Amino acid sequence: MKMVLAGAPPSDTDRERTLLRRARTGDPAAFRWLFERHAAGVWRFLKDLLRDEAAADEATQETFVRAHARLGALRDEDRLGAWLLGIARHVYLESLRHRGTHVDMDDEVHGSQVEAVLPTPTPEDLLLDRELEGLLAGALGTLREDRRAALLLRIDHGLPYEEISAVMGWSLQKVKNEIHRARLQLREHLAAHVGGHS
Amino acid sequence: MSACRETELDALLADELSPEDTARVRAHAQACPACQHALSWLRAERGWMAQRARRMPARPALDFAALESRLRKPVVPTAPKVSWMHWGKMLTAALASVAFVGITTLQVTRLPSADEPWTRNDALTTATWAVDWCDDPSREAVAALEARVGACLVASPLITLR
Repeated sequence: MKMVLAGAPPSDTDRERTLLRRARTGDPAAFRWLFERHAAGVWRFLKDLLRDEAAADEATQETFVRAHARLGALRDEDRLGAWLLGIARHVYLESLRHRGTHVDMDDEVHGSQVEAVLPTPTPEDLLLDRELEGLLAGALGTLREDRRAALLLRIDHGLPYEEISAVMGWSLQKVKNEIHRARLQLREHLAAHVGGHS
Repeated sequence: MSACRETELDALLADELSPEDTARVRAHAQACPACQHALSWLRAERGWMAQRARRMPARPALDFAALESRLRKPVVPTAPKVSWMHWGKMLTAALASVAFVGITTLQVTRLPSADEPWTRNDALTTATWAVDWCDDPSREAVAALEARVGACLVASPLITLR
């Protein structure tokens, strides 16, 4: 779908704000534009949490059904992405409850000494080959659920720490601590691959 | 920067720092091997995530047509909603208030039933509320009234007939 807006070319943020207002008045084309802009990110987030593509499909649809029904509840128009990811996480947690899956919140990472022995990634390591992609997915899978969600919101979806704090319901300091620990854990899992290339 | 802070390096790469903080963090990182090491990892992570995002598979969930059928109800405009339940509660409260006042009033002026014992107060209340007060309930007057209406009039037992 191509949206043509009058006047000077608006930024993506301006356009999103305009279309969000239209979607709130019931404009289906505007909601479609928002869906097409955010659906892939929401799906990827859910797939990383659920680790199941079919389940991520269903959860993505459910996320947007809820978002459509509750667009009027979005207070900050500039935080649509974070708001959608917040709904997605609720959908994910509900799906876990339906499955009777326990979310482990108690494990702890080994400590910051890990950082001292990590190799430094080389330019060759920056290429995400299939092997590294598999390792990355595996490493993300070893993270505690809430820590994984927080890390992904930062490094994949680019949310500022303040918005992650709102999505996760954590203090800003806890967000920073958890993301730091998640990074150390992730790097520890990838170190062998990264170090082997240098 | 007095200590190496990964969150500041992360914010530097995300272009989230003010110009002053950007200059400060960058100057520190250039001279700090630990921060350079951390920056390498942060850059690698960001790069991997970006590449991963570009490899998104085509999924049925990403087709708007699949979603459209589930969007049954149109979006409700964002004007403040006044629920019918709100008005219903208000009406119920108003009716309850009227009923309370009415019942209380009736209880104050309630006429005793025929089976209940009378008191002087009952008699006075009844007399002032329901019938004209008789200043001369003499036997002759009662008899004359009984003859006129053709019925036996029973006076209150607590009011002495003169």
